[in-house]
Amino acid sequence: MTHLRDAYITGTGVFLPGDPIGNDRMEDFIGRVGDRNSTVGQRALRWNGIQSRHYALTPDGEPRHSNASMSAAAMQAALADAGLGREDLQMLSTATTQGDFLVPGHASAVHGELGGQALELASFQSVCASSVMALKAAVMSIRTGDHACAGTVASEFSSRWFRPNFYEGTALLDAKGRLAMEADFLRWTLSDGAGALVLEHKPRKDRASLRVDWIDLTSLAGSFDPCMWAGAPTADRTDMKHTWSHSGPKAAHTNGAIALLQDFALLKVIIRAWIGLYLEKVDNGRIVPGQVDWLLFHYSARSLRREIVDILQSTNAMIPEEKWFSTLPDTGNIGAASIWVMLDAFLKSGKAKPGQRILCIVPESGRAMVGFVMLEMIA
Amino acid sequence: MSVVELPAAQDSSTAEVLRKLAVIWAEFEAKLEATPLIRKLTRGRFELTDYQTFLVNLRQQVKDGSLWMSRAASSIGEEHLELRSTLMKHAVTEHRDFRLLESDYVASGGALPAIQNAKKNIGSEALSGWMFNEASQRNPFGLLGAMFIIEGLGSIKAQEWGKLAQSRLDLPKDAFKFLLYHGENDAEHMREFEEMLGLVLPDDATAERIVTCARVVARLYVMQIEEISV
Repeated sequence: MTHLRDAYITGTGVFLPGDPIGNDRMEDFIGRVGDRNSTVGQRALRWNGIQSRHYALTPDGEPRHSNASMSAAAMQAALADAGLGREDLQMLSTATTQGDFLVPGHASAVHGELGGQALELASFQSVCASSVMALKAAVMSIRTGDHACAGTVASEFSSRWFRPNFYEGTALLDAKGRLAMEADFLRWTLSDGAGALVLEHKPRKDRASLRVDWIDLTSLAGSFDPCMWAGAPTADRTDMKHTWSHSGPKAAHTNGAIALLQDFALLKVIIRAWIGLYLEKVDNGRIVPGQVDWLLFHYSARSLRREIVDILQSTNAMIPEEKWFSTLPDTGNIGAASIWVMLDAFLKSGKAKPGQRILCIVPESGRAMVGFVMLEMIA
Repeated sequence: MSVVELPAAQDSSTAEVLRKLAVIWAEFEAKLEATPLIRKLTRGRFELTDYQTFLVNLRQQVKDGSLWMSRAASSIGEEHLELRSTLMKHAVTEHRDFRLLESDYVASGGALPAIQNAKKNIGSEALSGWMFNEASQRNPFGLLGAMFIIEGLGSIKAQEWGKLAQSRLDLPKDAFKFLLYHGENDAEHMREFEEMLGLVLPDDATAERIVTCARVVARLYVMQIEEISV
């Protein structure tokens, strides 16, 4: 094998369905469980700081897109941004929490939507950090010399999971018909869209590109139970013999297994684990906070508790907030897609200058994972 | 997006030690999470006997806590009187804490002699033996690393565990005094901790010893929890 080549991001693209939807109109799209307004919504929105988001549903809950079609649209936009077309793409990696089908993989559905000639595919399914897994696959295919042009796309169609029929008639409602907090909170957190990147082995001649310097992804699932999951009710989530496919879809739905759920007590512990992984990288010199010009963090500063900011500060590991760039308040939390939606907006903002280093951090509460991507802008 | 206001950065030696300690803490917390006892607690399978066994096993180590701290204070030379005072005050604050564990145990339906006469588990034996040995060295500043781990348990984990245990068990509130109320005092201890670091740093050998001691104590503490049979 020859030496490894550098990989460059030469194009970015997004697909955000429909108009931005403000906080006051969310339940018009995701619906009202048991015909009542949620009691959790305001608290969740205060915590996550999101002011608007996009939904791939009509107000009646009808789908206007599919997860695959949003992925394909974002990939096409990224290719156009790179000055390339579908025919230039040789490899495609996809990331999503839940594709349109259970089987086969989401990448096949996206290739189906894109059409065109044969591709190498890689299909990644996790939560937010699946974006980083898929990026790594695309970057490695360039670095090894297997391909000259690879695409990676991350997308979510979360809102259809939040419609009342996912919850009504299940154990997730109490005797008064109120939806359990561990289910309702995420309805106020996640929304729809897609973000894509084009990777090539050479930087662009006509404008700046981003060189991918390194990608680190660390899972701590060996230590932690599921924190955000679907496929088992809360009480059974650590027993893999009692997941939805054993009881069958009808019984699983009744038990509350077919819904996205979050364990908030565990989330607090996992946030400290993420911070520990970050501090370890600062400690061993992988990340030098003073040499990071921009931080794209898939998390909101206001959601970080005071003591976490204190520990970052007192360990000289804090990247000052004026270096943070985020679209979270405007585009919402789009799970895996968020980081590339953010990167696309960041590049188009013109803030980055050649020679600057951009750090992307993508924590995933799913089962305690975090991805780090270091990029450098090349003139 | 200026949501958080930030205190001034630390001097680099203290910051570096704190950073290493924070990394050790996070690894420690992940290992604790995977111990059989804590797994039962977080998975909703915690029973009265688990709680009582937990209290019994904690008591032996908590009782020794203020004793090794006193010994450490007596090993500190006169050039560090301020640190000696702090450790002595600290030891006084905590030296009756094991009584809380005993009263929790009795409130949970246990018999006082059972908790008082219980043997240390082998993790507690190792932890306690190592602590007394370290505390007997001249100027045992490495023990600040041990304190970081143990104080962290008080300020971060105790309430979390206490609330989980309370939600699982049908017991009166005064059966959870150690876990629920012990934590409140310890937030103050953590602030004190940074000041104590400032008294012995910068010094490379001390910094290294603090970090090593934190690693040892974290490992032995996990062993103590692993050794609790559930």
